[in-house]
Amino acid sequence: METREVVLEVEELVKRYAGVTAVDGVSFRVYAREIFGILGPNGAGKTTTLECIETLRSVDAGTIHLGGLNVRTQAPEVKRIIGVQLQSSSFFDKLSLAELLLLFGEMYGRRVDPLLLLDEVELRDKSRSQVGQLSGGQKQRFSIAAALVNDPVVIFLDEPTTGLDPQARRHLWGVIKRIRSEGKTVVITTHYMDEAEELCDRVAIMDAGKIIALAPPHEMIDALIAGGFRKERIERLASLEDVFLSLTGHTIRDE
Amino acid sequence: MRIKWMLTLASLKMFIRQREAILWTILFPLLVVVLFGFVKFNGVGSIELGVVNDAGAPGGELLSRIRAVRTFEVSEGTKDAEMALLGKGERDLVLVIPQGYAPGVATDLTAFGDLEAKPQVTQLGGLVLQRVLDEAAFAGAPGVKRTTLSTLPVKSRNLTYIDFLLPGILSMSIMQMGIFGVAFSFVTLKKRGILRRLWVTPIRPSDFIIAQVAMRLIVLILQMTIMVGVGVLFLNLHFIGNLALIYLLGILGAVVFLGFGFSLAGISKSEDQVAPLANIITLPMLALSGIFFNRTNLPGFVRAVTGLFPLTYLADGVRSVAIDGATLMQVMPQILGLVLWGAVSCAFAVRLFRWE
Repeated sequence: METREVVLEVEELVKRYAGVTAVDGVSFRVYAREIFGILGPNGAGKTTTLECIETLRSVDAGTIHLGGLNVRTQAPEVKRIIGVQLQSSSFFDKLSLAELLLLFGEMYGRRVDPLLLLDEVELRDKSRSQVGQLSGGQKQRFSIAAALVNDPVVIFLDEPTTGLDPQARRHLWGVIKRIRSEGKTVVITTHYMDEAEELCDRVAIMDAGKIIALAPPHEMIDALIAGGFRKERIERLASLEDVFLSLTGHTIRDE
Repeated sequence: MRIKWMLTLASLKMFIRQREAILWTILFPLLVVVLFGFVKFNGVGSIELGVVNDAGAPGGELLSRIRAVRTFEVSEGTKDAEMALLGKGERDLVLVIPQGYAPGVATDLTAFGDLEAKPQVTQLGGLVLQRVLDEAAFAGAPGVKRTTLSTLPVKSRNLTYIDFLLPGILSMSIMQMGIFGVAFSFVTLKKRGILRRLWVTPIRPSDFIIAQVAMRLIVLILQMTIMVGVGVLFLNLHFIGNLALIYLLGILGAVVFLGFGFSLAGISKSEDQVAPLANIITLPMLALSGIFFNRTNLPGFVRAVTGLFPLTYLADGVRSVAIDGATLMQVMPQILGLVLWGAVSCAFAVRLFRWE
């Protein structure tokens, strides 16, 4: 672990809004080519932490280094090497997906091949559609394609699967894993523990603006069990989600 | 530079693909012109009469008799000046009182009017004038010789309400595009998080603003060209102006109203907040800036205040260039007025505009 390349290093990050400390001394490192999860209840400070790293918010205290750049002083350079999918943001209406990707490429001074990017998220056949015509899962996948136009070092996904049905969620997991396998580092926030367990190499659990645990998911589970924790009911061999998926199939429905 | 141009192109594409935008910016103003052009507001209300008095005191006496007739809106001037105004259509009739005229002495008077274009006004005016002349002649002693009036046809430009209205509507739609167009679209872009998504890319906010302004100026040039073109081809618009000067005025006006639009977008959080503010700014100007009606009918104080409205500067400038062929120097007051307003509105925009 110690020899791995550090891509993102956050140290003692503090962010306050009008007296409320949303992020209260958060520190963590993200290594190259890992999927790093930030978990926590609503209002824990996950999104604010991401927005500070993404240069969208000013930092009150602490430092953030990304790809060797200081986020506080080198925001323009940082923007060039990150890809961002924001929690509740949209894209221009009236432009097709291909036109949007070309335009976003231009914002980085790049001429991208929109169809290749759409292949990445399995939306090639929607290249002429507009964002308003896409389903929830397709929108999130498009949002990821737009975050990839500059071939970023790190890609940030803020609750990408919230509101999606189980099929679409699983499909998106496949897309995210593939992006990682192509050499990118992924930082993801989520409310879904199964998602974190399935996707993330390591997770940080946040509550009230602080990181209260940081480890690979299985280590956390092992530690809990070693501490004497037992579920009141023994886990069944299948969950209701397994029932749902075996009944409705794994094919995504939003096409 | 390239990104500004790409953003401008993309914004143009988005604009053109919005059918309602085309409807509001191009078709609606034309529709207003056509509809109002068919409505006759004045009919034969008063007759604009120019009088050229070459006869001294006897002529003055006749003039005061003519002034007493309420049908006439009388102005006095030299023959050259009055005939020029007749040619422009600002006089319906010009009466020349020749040297040597005296009531009761047979002298032929001449009135000029455009019989072909304004038959009723010219003939009615001639009849009323003849009556006034007769009264003047017979007031002294009965049985004296009658002074006869002959009406000579003159070709005038015969400006119509369309000529007044079209430049005004053109100015109005520049205002609407600047204020409503920008304020609404930026509030939507803010609210839907589209702007936030842009700020995680390396583009500068100024790139985006410049592209938005450039796109609207391009649309504006198109819009002005189409409106003047349709006016000349189908609505009998008497356009004699310099088109480049019209564009200049239009762009200055657009800068003024875009500044207000960005200011409103800055202080509004939702479309619901934009609408009333935008209406408070635009409605008084729509009513009082001389778009539909000539401001000369307003009471003096109101006329003075409304003369300072940015839309008044724009509409007056565009109108005098389009219809009277005014030159750059002649519309300098309007240009200066717009430049001052532009400085004010852009200063507001810089202070009030917010991305979040």
